[in-house]
Amino acid sequence: MVGKIIHEHDVLVVGGGLAGLRAAVEAHDNGADAAVVSKVYPLRSHSVAAQGGINAALGNNPGSKDDSWEKHAFDTVKGSAYLADQDAVEALCREAPASVIELEHWGTVFSRDNEGKLAQRPFGGAGVPRTCYAADRTGHNLLNTLFEQASSRGIKFYNEHFVTSLVVNNNKCAGCITIDIQTGELHGFSSKSLILATGGYGRIYERSTNSLINTADGHALAYRCGAALKDMEFVQFHPTTLYGSNILITEGARGEGAHLINSEGERFMFKYAPEAKELAPRDIVARSIMEEIEKGLGYEGEYVYLDLRPLGAEKIKEHLPGIRQIARDFANLDPVEELIPVQPGQHYSMGGINVNIDGETNIEGLLAAGECACVSVHGANRLGGNSLLETLVFGKKAGKRAGSNDRESVRLSNVKNVLDREQERLETIFSGKGENTAALMKEMKKTVYGKFGIFRNEEKMHEGLNNLYRLQKRYSGAGLNHRGKKYNQALLKFLELGYMLEIAEAVAVSALERKESRGSHYRADFPNRDDDSYLKHTIFIKDHKNRPSITFSPVRSGLFPVKERDY
Amino acid sequence: MIIRISRGAGDKYDEYNVKVSQEMTVLDILFHIQGNIDETLAFRYSCRGAVCGSCAILINGMPLLACKTPVSRIDELNNVYEVFLPKEGKVPEDGMLLEPIPKLPVLKDLVVDWEPFFEHFRKLELELKEYSNPPEKEYLLGKDQVRELEKYSNCISCALCWSACPMVGDVEGYPGPAALAKLYRFYLDPREPGNVGRLYFANRDFGWWACDFYTNCRKVCPKGVPPNIAIGKAQNQLKNEEDKK
Repeated sequence: MVGKIIHEHDVLVVGGGLAGLRAAVEAHDNGADAAVVSKVYPLRSHSVAAQGGINAALGNNPGSKDDSWEKHAFDTVKGSAYLADQDAVEALCREAPASVIELEHWGTVFSRDNEGKLAQRPFGGAGVPRTCYAADRTGHNLLNTLFEQASSRGIKFYNEHFVTSLVVNNNKCAGCITIDIQTGELHGFSSKSLILATGGYGRIYERSTNSLINTADGHALAYRCGAALKDMEFVQFHPTTLYGSNILITEGARGEGAHLINSEGERFMFKYAPEAKELAPRDIVARSIMEEIEKGLGYEGEYVYLDLRPLGAEKIKEHLPGIRQIARDFANLDPVEELIPVQPGQHYSMGGINVNIDGETNIEGLLAAGECACVSVHGANRLGGNSLLETLVFGKKAGKRAGSNDRESVRLSNVKNVLDREQERLETIFSGKGENTAALMKEMKKTVYGKFGIFRNEEKMHEGLNNLYRLQKRYSGAGLNHRGKKYNQALLKFLELGYMLEIAEAVAVSALERKESRGSHYRADFPNRDDDSYLKHTIFIKDHKNRPSITFSPVRSGLFPVKERDY
Repeated sequence: MIIRISRGAGDKYDEYNVKVSQEMTVLDILFHIQGNIDETLAFRYSCRGAVCGSCAILINGMPLLACKTPVSRIDELNNVYEVFLPKEGKVPEDGMLLEPIPKLPVLKDLVVDWEPFFEHFRKLELELKEYSNPPEKEYLLGKDQVRELEKYSNCISCALCWSACPMVGDVEGYPGPAALAKLYRFYLDPREPGNVGRLYFANRDFGWWACDFYTNCRKVCPKGVPPNIAIGKAQNQLKNEEDKK
């Protein structure tokens, strides 16, 4: 078997962000031989860009003295437009304080209050100040801590390995195949458990806050081998992304007291959410901004202003230094004195690979955690500060389950067979006729943003789906001219585009199927929430003939009765 | 504009004629070339927002993040980064020169091997070592203590300081500014038992004492981290410890 490299581990984690590293650490601490495969160096993962914070009912803030996991759970369920599974939300909120404290004990430099305890700030959709933070670099600080912890345990990292396929036989996962980006060689990985922690599918959209590497890899890999995708139509648009580059401007800014201003100088959120104003949940604030812009009350028909000046210079420097730096570096302005131009942009994927509370999918030995998974704790709209929390709580659970998996070692011959098949597939790609991948990618992003954005309707979405089918067809006949081995980024982009076109279809078909408005999914042709027909999860899965199909699964409630959402 | 890009060993450069606007970042230009002119070009990227540390390169000889450097700022940077400017004639007239950061092996085009840089993170055991019986809740830390830790924990491990430090490569085994700043951060952290011992992790000629305070590290850090201050304080602290003996 010249040139074929096979690695064996008990637990293989794909993705080196927060969920992946937390899972790897937990699997290791449960006695398993855990390894991490990542297409970048782990510190470059998108988790590093998370700004505002992480929720836990610690009750440290004078305004949250009698906070409890139940209150956190209620805010989360209400924020989700009642689509979240309440047993999963219970786990998330009950385990939040211990999860945050654990990272503090491991060295995360959280911001403090005057007593030296973890400071907590108000966030959208939360009844009380519950969001812990490390200035506005919370993801950066958590990721460094977890990377340090994982490294010190001697966990093996395969950096710059790009996964091309999972190895699944008879609904059992036996490992995966990667391209070593540095050398171009294919590697086979055999594992008893494989955990996908590959982040969201944000980059199928134009105007996204996501890192450029968030290309739906895990979703497509899982879907291709029979895993179910859940609630893919629910895509979060963050209200405040920097006009031009769509770099995130944290909700923490509004949490600290920043205002949203339209072209008439009006603080317009009073009209849309009289109580919560700027701190209504993201779906509501994002729609409100778009309505203002569409009414002609934006600037240049594109953006509104975020005014940080009410905070004063000191608070900005202390609590939002990263935002000040972003405004200076990417908009050439100082928010201590000037207004920041902002517009809504794609931010988070609520939908994902369908998993149970322990991270297990419908395929034996295949698990998922973090943004690429859908437990579901975010339902139709995620609250700020809950995604970092999800990575820690459910990364740990998936790692624990995988680490205690005593499945018999899988047959290496399966991995070798798929390795051969992948080798042939790459040869086919290299022999196809060259197609401009960058142009195809651009067209896909434009289609998804234009037809499956904040305001949706049947006609637009049909047009969008048909366009996606056309793009898929062009893609399936396309190939690559560049055959270089080392750092062949043309090849990686080509494969990423394949993942994204497949997952864009999942978003499109799921969105068409849901004929109501709920959370982030707003349909002008069905503007109301319809609990009688649609209080259920959308499942996108291949049928027995290998064709995409939609089914539904019930929402698990129990803690809180379903009600209207008002803010 | 002519963009001259290093294509690896043997001093090979390729030139691309690109229509650029003042707002474009150097990373935008690289994507434009890769997507439309030459798909064989390789460079690293991820967040495009100056937080992930992937895209450190030399722009006209200056160690910078490609994602946070717009064309419009390059002239003004020439003044700040005077010491790094390359030999005359290398930068094309009215053009731009892009090269990999030095002092790390080049893997392809603008992509370098980060292993020698990260190796010191492991050697210096840059992770918090826990007390065996931590408190039930969080450790209480003062705001001033947090401010001191933040100065160094803001490091994004982009290796720009490594590439700009005259001692790296000159002094065998020198961990470089980023690793030493992180080491100092753990020395400062009251949550680690016996952290004074941390100073001795690099109490060697090729450790803290190799620094000659050129302060290039501080100048090129995109996050304002001052490794030179950490190193100076560590040296003073070690002198005090010696005096006590």
